[in-house]
Amino acid sequence: MNATNNEKFTITINDTQCVAFRGETVVEAANRAGINIPTLCHDSRLEPAGACRVCLVEVEGQRRMQPGCAWIVQPGMVVHTETSRIDRHRKVLYSMYMSDHELDESGLPVATANSNQLRQLCETIEPIVLAPVEAPRADRPGDDNPYIEFNPDLCILCARCTRYCDEVEAVNAITLSGRGSETTIATAGQRSLIDTTCELCGGCIDTCPTGALIEKKAPRNLVQLGTDKRRTTCNFCGVGCQLDLHVAEDRVVKVTSPPPGETLNDGNLCVKGRFAYDFIHHQDRITEPLIRDANGQLQPATWEQAIEATAKGLLGVKERHGADALGFISSSRCTGEENYLMQKLSRAVFGTNNIHQCAAT
Amino acid sequence: MTNAIDEIRDSEMMFVIGSNTTEAHPIIAMEMKRARQRGAKLVVADPRQIWLAEMADIHLQLKPGTDVWLLQAMANVIIEEGLVDQKFIDQHTEGFDRVCAKVADYTPEKAEQITGCRAEDIRQAARWYGTTRHAGIYYTLGITEHTHGTDNVYCLANLVLMTGHLGVRSAGMNPLRGQNNVQGANDAGATPIFYPGYQNVTDDSVREKFEAAWGVPLSPDNGLNLNVMMKEMAKGNMKAVYVMGEDIVISEPNVSKVEAGLNQCEFVVCQEIFHNETTRFADVILPGACFAEKDGVFTNSDRRIQRVRKAVDPPGNARADWRIICDIARAAGYAMPDYPSPKEVFAEYASLTPKIAGVSYERMEKNIQGLQWPCPDPDHPGTPTLHGDGPLIGIAPFQEVDYRPSDELPDNEYPLVLSTGRTLYHYNSATQTRRDPGPVAKQSQNFLEIHRGDAKRLGIKHGEIVQVASRRGVIQAEAWVSPRVRRGCVWMPMHFAEQRANLLTNDAGDAVTGTGEYKVCAVRVEKIQQPVEA
Repeated sequence: MNATNNEKFTITINDTQCVAFRGETVVEAANRAGINIPTLCHDSRLEPAGACRVCLVEVEGQRRMQPGCAWIVQPGMVVHTETSRIDRHRKVLYSMYMSDHELDESGLPVATANSNQLRQLCETIEPIVLAPVEAPRADRPGDDNPYIEFNPDLCILCARCTRYCDEVEAVNAITLSGRGSETTIATAGQRSLIDTTCELCGGCIDTCPTGALIEKKAPRNLVQLGTDKRRTTCNFCGVGCQLDLHVAEDRVVKVTSPPPGETLNDGNLCVKGRFAYDFIHHQDRITEPLIRDANGQLQPATWEQAIEATAKGLLGVKERHGADALGFISSSRCTGEENYLMQKLSRAVFGTNNIHQCAAT
Repeated sequence: MTNAIDEIRDSEMMFVIGSNTTEAHPIIAMEMKRARQRGAKLVVADPRQIWLAEMADIHLQLKPGTDVWLLQAMANVIIEEGLVDQKFIDQHTEGFDRVCAKVADYTPEKAEQITGCRAEDIRQAARWYGTTRHAGIYYTLGITEHTHGTDNVYCLANLVLMTGHLGVRSAGMNPLRGQNNVQGANDAGATPIFYPGYQNVTDDSVREKFEAAWGVPLSPDNGLNLNVMMKEMAKGNMKAVYVMGEDIVISEPNVSKVEAGLNQCEFVVCQEIFHNETTRFADVILPGACFAEKDGVFTNSDRRIQRVRKAVDPPGNARADWRIICDIARAAGYAMPDYPSPKEVFAEYASLTPKIAGVSYERMEKNIQGLQWPCPDPDHPGTPTLHGDGPLIGIAPFQEVDYRPSDELPDNEYPLVLSTGRTLYHYNSATQTRRDPGPVAKQSQNFLEIHRGDAKRLGIKHGEIVQVASRRGVIQAEAWVSPRVRRGCVWMPMHFAEQRANLLTNDAGDAVTGTGEYKVCAVRVEKIQQPVEA
């Protein structure tokens, strides 16, 4: 239930008094107070897993360090998130992650087109050099789905993707499979995602902290291309999800959701909103006005000719048969302003209330 | 929607009827799944065993077109068992006595005979709905795409009113709108009976206001709705149409008649981003811009006005649609103002529309979650939950409804009931989604869901191409022998231009709204006889 409806009390984090609500976690209370506790496996849309151990904090009265993403606040609780013990823990933990991760020439976890939060964390420590882990983590080489790519060498097994697939999208197409260093993200029988219950929503990509899951369609050199992000509203169904269109060289090259909690879609998108953007730059787009000639063939025209032909054609019918022989079919796919202008065109310019759109269908 | 989308997660009960939410509104379905995982009850009423039905406490798998019986039987139980909110009824409604008398005959036992749903299930659903405070009704075109669509909506409204589920968080009456801006198009006055903001065309004072604003005399008569326009076009009375961003030859019911009408038209204009079935009839084609290529606003299902922002340029000489319309208005001799951008168009629209008078581009930049109308002045925060202080119209009338069967029922010649709809992977006429590899990989061609009993009787195997015929047309589809449909019922998507489901559907329309009966028509399914090899 909504934590803010619950009883409110005070806890202390790093010697600062913070507001907390009964039932919430240390990470949630810290975030509200502007105190950053690093995490990898935490996603506000998912039940706490405590899997990655990055968020361990010291809680007074507890002998061991505890995961802030799962530890429930109590009145008067005293928490420390930055201590020498925690520093030692992070150094060892991050070094262990690095020994089981693809590194670049600088020795850090590789950057990906979708960033890599593990890399950012490792930049904060002096790593201990450990022998690389032999992790025969299975890939799905035959997966011919067009959208979602999995690179097991970048997977840290935080299980955000599989938990998202279970708890949010609720289709359970992917799961953790195998044991020990062989554990991987798998489908039933390692089938292509197309042949599973997967609905290609791409939420697994969105929640993945390391870029082990990425969009197949997006260019790999997005960072170098230098994309601009443009916040807009999805053009498919009536939910009104907010999208960030990533633009490079006047093309939409990727679509993501704003972060969870920011807009009504709470970080989520469906297959159409996230992936079905190829139509924007498709070669079949109509790129110039067309007028049908005397032989019934469509011929390219200038805008002046096309506008003139349209006005003349509509005025001619109005003159011969009256304004109510005209029908204007506006579009529930177009903007509010365009619908306003279309009904103004119908009513004020041509004199008929015969204006509708597919709301009736 | 009377309520906001993010309220769904805190529901205690959801009654979803005539909405395949996981496919048609996936992100709203995620909120429903979240509520379900938090313990909310879920009742789904749908002739198909849709995905949501699999996780429901009760699935009322009614026969298509029998919604009035199901809903009045639920009302019957709520009244019989004293689960009504008498205080709400006394304070905010009128005509409850007449509805009590009307639904007295609609017992769950009789409803079981007609709808095919177990009387005990109807009782349980009614009890949960009547006794749960945060219980919302969610519906889509499964309710409205009938000749008795308005009656279905009245029945739902009666349930909401008699239980006082109005103005309550995570409750209310929630139609989920199908298109990105179908709410906004109606709000903006793209409707034959309303100026922007639902101001009546026939109201003299309203007309005078718009005449003063636009500087021309305006027609005092209601216009024709789309369904009637199509019929008048087929009769030869409508001589010209200007179609912007809709493929009417795919999406209207009984499309052969639409094609015949377009052939008779003296002048057809299409404003489109792709060639489609309708542009084949166009005398002039105007290349418009898609959502990523222009500025503006969309209004979603929960009345939330949100910005659309230009990210890239339109291809070639294509232009933003708002510019095209303004140019045509000027060429036709009207002094359309020289709007520098959609922002100024919106300001004019808002200045004439009290419901959104407080919304501006400046405010939308600050409110990244958008603003929900009514928002009558610049200091108003918007309205997530409607009717919080009682019904907006003051006293809400109950509506007496009599069950009327669908327009075309199955018979010996056409023994199966066809319903049509949308899938997760495609969108309407699919000019956009069929140009992307994922939807094509998942669903590349038209299909027909059919019960295994019917398939067996007809000798049809899963995956076989079959012929589907109604009184209006014949098409082919791949048979999907599916446990999802009732025996005697078949289901088909409407996305595929080469095998158009709407060649089959019935264009009989609802008396009030003109909405076509896409959900019920009679068809015959046949094997395609293979020519015998010599």
